[in-house]
Amino acid sequence: MTQDSPQGAPLLQVENLGVRFAIKRGGLFGEKRYLYAVDDVSFSLKRGETLAIVGESGSGKTTTALAIARLVDAYTGRVRVAEQDVLGIEGEDLRQIRRKVQFIFQDPYSSLNPRQRAEDIVREPLQSLTETSSEDQQKIIDRLFASVGLRPEQKRLFPHQFSGGQRQRIGIARALATQPELIICDEPVSALDVAVQAQILNLLRDLQAEFGLTYLFISHDLGVVQHMCDSIAVMYMGRVVEYTDRRSLFNDPKHPYTTALLSAVPSIDKKRRAEMKRISIHGDPPDPLAPQKGCHFANRCPMATDTCQQSQPALTDKGNGHMVACHLVT
Amino acid sequence: MTDEPIQKARSPFIEAWEMFARNRSAVAGLIILVLISLGAVFGPALYPTDPFDMVWAPFSPPGDAGFIFGTDYLGRDLLAMIINGARVSLIIGLAAAVVSIVIGVTIGALAGFYRGIIEEILMRITEFFQVLPTLLFSMVIVALFGASLPMITLAIGIVSWTAVARITRAEFLRIRELEYVMASRASGTKNAKLMFRIILPNALPPIIVQSALMVGSAILFEAGLSFLGLTDPNVVSWGQIIGSNRQYILDASYTVTIPGLAIFVTVLAISLVGDGLNDALNPKLRSR
Repeated sequence: MTQDSPQGAPLLQVENLGVRFAIKRGGLFGEKRYLYAVDDVSFSLKRGETLAIVGESGSGKTTTALAIARLVDAYTGRVRVAEQDVLGIEGEDLRQIRRKVQFIFQDPYSSLNPRQRAEDIVREPLQSLTETSSEDQQKIIDRLFASVGLRPEQKRLFPHQFSGGQRQRIGIARALATQPELIICDEPVSALDVAVQAQILNLLRDLQAEFGLTYLFISHDLGVVQHMCDSIAVMYMGRVVEYTDRRSLFNDPKHPYTTALLSAVPSIDKKRRAEMKRISIHGDPPDPLAPQKGCHFANRCPMATDTCQQSQPALTDKGNGHMVACHLVT
Repeated sequence: MTDEPIQKARSPFIEAWEMFARNRSAVAGLIILVLISLGAVFGPALYPTDPFDMVWAPFSPPGDAGFIFGTDYLGRDLLAMIINGARVSLIIGLAAAVVSIVIGVTIGALAGFYRGIIEEILMRITEFFQVLPTLLFSMVIVALFGASLPMITLAIGIVSWTAVARITRAEFLRIRELEYVMASRASGTKNAKLMFRIILPNALPPIIVQSALMVGSAILFEAGLSFLGLTDPNVVSWGQIIGSNRQYILDASYTVTIPGLAIFVTVLAISLVGDGLNDALNPKLRSR
């Protein structure tokens, strides 16, 4: 751990982050429109903790993660990692940040270069981001292979010679190579089968304890999130609708969307299952290119009122740091 | 958790070779190609007859007086001409393919990687070269700058790089969006390395096939140019033999057929090898 920030100060601070994609229509001089994939997203994350971002497909959770890792350009907002601005920097500064922030990708089948050997995949960040000598690189690679549970003789193999779970282990080893402080996990287990999911999640937890890592954990699976994180941000249509610690979110969900999401998590506990009433949300999210002025969730919300159709609720503290963006929650 | 069988790590070169060797038609193509190349390299030394000398009566049919392929309309030994012509055809074929790959891959890679205005400009240039009538354009170049071998090579390269550029661009557009390229970006890999070490190797299979086909089409192109008389008069080439004997096609058809067959067999062998390379270099097709 570096000592350049006081204990307890957040490692990652995201303020009013916005990402938009230009949609051009009709050739060279066509009108330009923007799709706001991430809109006014703020959260912070303390060292050694895990923040989960959950939401359905297209809610902007992956784009948020990519923007923090500088893999997609944000148009507004501020991202700070260890008191250092991330957005707008280039060259050597960006290299420093990349060393601190690493990424684990969703699909282990497409996130490994099929023409690189396993050890070269893990070596790439060492080569590009650090000045380690090649002997030291080899030592680091050997250690990482052991840490993620791969055998030394597998170093020389190509990605297609591994199973999905083993591939994700290589991806994790690559992310760990530069000794980062923050690791962004973009649905790291959603492409794996259930038995392997548990192995990888346990591995991630063990590594967190071993290296003191901080995770930003993206998922659509609340069941997975429940076992991984300290706090949770629920996203819908590019905005955070509820943001609080794990306990209050699971015991006392306030936003109607969160309530519906939680009711969809299967439970094996008979008593809990009986208590829980399944709330289903009908319809699809509205067209992101034609945003309405009210709450984005209003057209699917079972309790929407006129106010919800007219004005967008802000994310406000509803007591004890439980942030909710809903007019109906007081 | 890891009870899958351990696999030996072998060099990718050996793995590719084993895959290639399993493809019979590719091996056949390679054997033919090696024989032709050996003939081109050592043939003139082993069969020292000068292809420009009048050695026997004109229009002697194959086999006559020990001349295996017979003689042409000037009484020159056709076998000696074929052997010497192989040199020119293969050199021009390879060199022209290299020229067009260098131009095509560079332009395609830049266009596909950087997108935006760079892509617009480069692809409009590519389209400009694409709509030019290729044979006519190369004839203009050769007629303007002289019919020397380097100029003919350059002319063929300049008119045939567009296909490589388009294929390279298409592959770059596909691959640059893949997660492993993003992962390399997150690993701090610089643009030049990203383009040529990460994306290009993965874009190679279609480029290799196209290049192999291009060697063949460059040989055909050269044959076409020299058939029309646009060739270095001091060297023999297969197309030139066909061109100079074309008036006698009815009386002595072998003078045209034999060099034609030489071109056909060479181009076919190159295509077979290119196909085999495609399978061999794609690790996804390799046995597990």
